Amino acid sequence: MAASNSKSTGWKAVLRSHEFILFAVLVAEWVLFYALGTHRNARGMTVGFGSLDAQYNILRHSVEIGLLALVMTPVILTGGIDLSVGSVLGFSAIVFGKLWQDAHWPIAAAALAALVTGAAAGGLNAFLITWLRLPPLIVTLGTYSLFRGFAEALTRGADIFTGFPASFTFIGQERILGVPAQLPIFALVAVAVWLLVHRTTFGRSFRAIGFAPEGTRYAGIPVERRVALAYILSGLVSALAGLIYTARLNQATADAGTGYELAAITAVVLGGTSIFGGIGTVHGTLLGVAAVAVLSEGLFYADQPRELGGMLTGVLLIVALGASVVPKVLSKWRSSRQTAPSTPQPPAST
Amino acid sequence: MKQHFREWSVAGALGAMLVALAIFAPRFYEAQPLLSRLTDDAPTLIIACGMASIIICRQIDISVGSMFAVCGVCSALLLEHHWPIAAVIPISIALGAVLGAFNGWLVAGLGLPSIVVTLATMVTWKEALRWMRQGVLVNVGSAQWFGLSQIHGQLTIIATSLVILVISALAMRHLAMGRFVYAVGADAEAARLAGLRPRLVTFLMFVRLGALTGLAAILNAVQAATLQPNPDSGLELKVIAAVVVGGVAISGGRGNLWGVFCGLLLLACITPALVYLGIPPYWGKAIQGAIILLAVVADGVRNRKTRT
Repeated sequence: MAASNSKSTGWKAVLRSHEFILFAVLVAEWVLFYALGTHRNARGMTVGFGSLDAQYNILRHSVEIGLLALVMTPVILTGGIDLSVGSVLGFSAIVFGKLWQDAHWPIAAAALAALVTGAAAGGLNAFLITWLRLPPLIVTLGTYSLFRGFAEALTRGADIFTGFPASFTFIGQERILGVPAQLPIFALVAVAVWLLVHRTTFGRSFRAIGFAPEGTRYAGIPVERRVALAYILSGLVSALAGLIYTARLNQATADAGTGYELAAITAVVLGGTSIFGGIGTVHGTLLGVAAVAVLSEGLFYADQPRELGGMLTGVLLIVALGASVVPKVLSKWRSSRQTAPSTPQPPAST
Repeated sequence: MKQHFREWSVAGALGAMLVALAIFAPRFYEAQPLLSRLTDDAPTLIIACGMASIIICRQIDISVGSMFAVCGVCSALLLEHHWPIAAVIPISIALGAVLGAFNGWLVAGLGLPSIVVTLATMVTWKEALRWMRQGVLVNVGSAQWFGLSQIHGQLTIIATSLVILVISALAMRHLAMGRFVYAVGADAEAARLAGLRPRLVTFLMFVRLGALTGLAAILNAVQAATLQPNPDSGLELKVIAAVVVGGVAISGGRGNLWGVFCGLLLLACITPALVYLGIPPYWGKAIQGAIILLAVVADGVRNRKTRT
């Protein structure tokens, strides 16, 4: 993993790093599905997985979970977790839809209000976690239910907001300069989060907190404020994902983004971030998102059931985890085999 | 009293709600709807008994919803092929135990973090089930309510869950194995130095949770003539919420099953209570979330006071 890179190892370490292996898996997936899922139609045009349209569709479908995974990375780096992202996505989409359709706000004002809602939702998580020092897992489990409940209450469990103007659905359905319009937004967020985590003292303190919260406090870093920032950022970007989701489907429903929290966590962990915090990279997360997206969409183009993709994601996650402990288990086993036959002896002085 | 403040406050909240319902909405206590609601929640109670000891052991299992669906569909398929119910019940329990053992092996054997392991197994079982079954309904047929009348079936299911609760609660309190769970959850290294085997205890708790989930699945499968496989019901978070509201500390080593029982009833009663009190039921989820937050905030405020 990049965090443990030291000067003495160099290229070998890069080749053995989690990110590189994941990148190789991604390339293998892509080549496999290119071979299986690409055809030429009667007019000699490429259709299926290999076509540019299909590639853009894969990107389009993975932007929302990608955004959630991006901001989940700093949260998990600090040793926390945010189960409420999917609910914040749904809640802010409903706030947006309701303000626009029922309260007749202009679209930009409604979108801004949705982003503020998301940031405030993240702020509630941050307040409970840092000020009351409650475990993030439980706090965000509670807000997971609370925000989804707000979305259901605002829609009375049934309302659907739809019929948004083309100037808004543009960001979810059209193209800018030939690429899907949500892609520049995603790239912007990705670069910003990467810079925050890898090129600022803020980012360094996220890792330090995940590694040793007490030690970081004694080093003079305001732990509470840094952790709060991670959760507020998570709420804000979840709301952004909610807007993009609404624009892509041209509808806001109370169940938008159900289950996205676990998909995002899967991508982050697959990307090599330790669930205990302290270790992980943003580019690893991006590779994790891509690996999951190519797998599930590629199977679709290869005429395989979509469920197989979900299943293989789970298997991939177990294998990735297992691979991380194999060296440890092996060395333990070797050392126990070397010492097992011998009856208690004074330790050799080497 | 002071030691069990959390349990008593949850019991108090539950009691207050039941009294309020008795005064303002006595129809809540009509026998048949009440019995149906309790039957609905009986499987959740059984899983909560297993989940409580996992969390006391400082682990977590979010794959119970998937295990529950897999066991339910498998046993319903056997019932559809006219296997006797007496054979299907142990098979369902055994299947659950095997799935639990797989989680336990990854967590206790390989030392992987339980939240990620069970996230992965949750996704794997869920998608596998969806792939194999494509959401087709399974016809349980004559095995509904174990072939008894509805009321006897409901009473059997409720009685089973209460027996499991009482046995588990007494075992956690009085058996050596039960105390081991608290010891491991409070401090695994100290427990190891005291001669316990934390990894074995953790493994067994995962197997036990799996077995209880298998039992809950069959008790759920016989409640209707057809079983709809639904691994996305959010059962895992419902169970964890009940356990946490009931006063089990997520950091391990603390809590008991009586509190979990009160927490489960409190959360389960909210939505029907809203209906009877004339509040729109779509507020149910928000209020459940607020109760979870209230329970942990109460803990947080108390901790803050004791610290300063």
